Amino acid sequence: MFEMLSFEFIQRALIASVIIGLVCSIIGVFVILRNLTFIGAGTSHAAFAGVTLGYLINYNPLSFAIVFSLLTVWIVGYLNRKGYLKLDASVGIFYSLTMALAVLFIGLMKVYNAEVYGYLFGSILSVTKGDLAIILILGLAVLSLVYLFFKEFHFITFDEEMAQASGIAAGWLSFLLLTMIALTIVISLKSVGAILVFALIVTPAAAAYQLTFSMIRMFLYSAVIGITASVGGVFLSYWLDLPSGATTVLFVSAMFFLSLIFSPKRGYIS
Amino acid sequence: MSNNVIIRFSHATIAYQRRTALTDINLEIFQGEFVGIIGPNGSGKTTMLKSILGLIRPTHGSVQIFDCACHKLRCRHKAKIGYIPQKGQIDPNFPVTVMETVMMGRYSSIGLLRRPSNDDRELVKHALREVEMDGYADAPLGHLSGGQQQRVLIARALVQQPEVLLMDEPTTGIDTPTQHSIIRLISNLQKNLKLTVLLVTHDINMISPYVDRMALINTQLHAIGAPADVLNEKTLTAIYGKQVVVTTKGGGTYVIVGDYHYV
Repeated sequence: MFEMLSFEFIQRALIASVIIGLVCSIIGVFVILRNLTFIGAGTSHAAFAGVTLGYLINYNPLSFAIVFSLLTVWIVGYLNRKGYLKLDASVGIFYSLTMALAVLFIGLMKVYNAEVYGYLFGSILSVTKGDLAIILILGLAVLSLVYLFFKEFHFITFDEEMAQASGIAAGWLSFLLLTMIALTIVISLKSVGAILVFALIVTPAAAAYQLTFSMIRMFLYSAVIGITASVGGVFLSYWLDLPSGATTVLFVSAMFFLSLIFSPKRGYIS
Repeated sequence: MSNNVIIRFSHATIAYQRRTALTDINLEIFQGEFVGIIGPNGSGKTTMLKSILGLIRPTHGSVQIFDCACHKLRCRHKAKIGYIPQKGQIDPNFPVTVMETVMMGRYSSIGLLRRPSNDDRELVKHALREVEMDGYADAPLGHLSGGQQQRVLIARALVQQPEVLLMDEPTTGIDTPTQHSIIRLISNLQKNLKLTVLLVTHDINMISPYVDRMALINTQLHAIGAPADVLNEKTLTAIYGKQVVVTTKGGGTYVIVGDYHYV
């Protein structure tokens, strides 16, 4: 075990997995409680479309991933807030639109590019120093915002109309939360992949939801489950020579089913 | 605005996209009054409250509170308005305790980037005592009965230390004895704390002994006055469009709306 820790790429992977596990699981609490589950899936595919455009025109793929994912959450959020379209319908449209764009951009590439597919399925063992810096900066930014606006996010998550009526800038905070979801997806894209990042956001929080009636504890449990799954996924994928993203998701899914069994809300074994 | 008028609708028309919810409303609510707002479904009762909160803006005329147009309310104004929205089904598993729920009422006053202080916690405990829920501070909100949840939501409004309380059908989905205890609680709080209360309800008979005045609306204001003055068959039939019987017993006025019996 200690021998693998001497490799620099493993050290980077572990640091990245701790940060990603933490940020995804914290943001996931809001995603679960505000019923934004589907928006995570739509946004991760939009971010992937951005990556493919970056590779097509040979410009930083991550910057396009940020632009595509932010545009998606802002437009979807706007359509929903104005009452023009239900959230799941608009996410469905963007999900298919951005995937169509991704397929188009890949089709326009003259040569096969394996790195693009790395963003689809994830490869935490290939995280570079530059990737780690971005994960660290954006991850800290998202966590800081959660800390600073915690009580307001708690209020709008429980009762947005009441929050707005009592003078909380609920509309502005909702868009900030959507922005944080988009950034969380972007920093996780390379490590976990567009298809599986969604699971790292939703599953730890869904597991924590089974275990407590307190929001503070839900954050705590979600973070522990997210980090455990993320770091555990790295170790397992290295030892068993399995794809890291898939291993992490299978690990966290197993923890979810355990939480269902031990949930005090269900009473199977409690 | 005169000194004791706290809320004023002046020729206020309010519309949602293509549908007009309220037309040409003229109404003054005085400080310390308990006013019931009565009308059928879709008559604009909730819209009236939302316009006072500044959540909806009139397309014509104006709605004012504390001498300020409602859609321009600043936080210091909003903090003085306690609002209890229609209680939807609270997810029994939602991770929030009674204490946390009531504390939310303080967030606007606490302000951004600050944490609740000991004074805020004391205010929460005091509000819970006011609604006789002080033994439930750490209980998950979803574990309480409908009546207990409603008391917690009233405490959340009280913790704002409001001057005005807006309540949207606070007794919906609650058994009859609990409905009476909730209305008695609101009436006592209104008197003790000198609150101005606007309460939207379908239950005319429940609130008529407690309110100072009743506003009868169905997109327009049909009548406003003391229950004994406005609860008559002609006005109520005009509002509900159904057969209405008004009777008096023991000094109280009772209304039966659209209650058909086939033999």
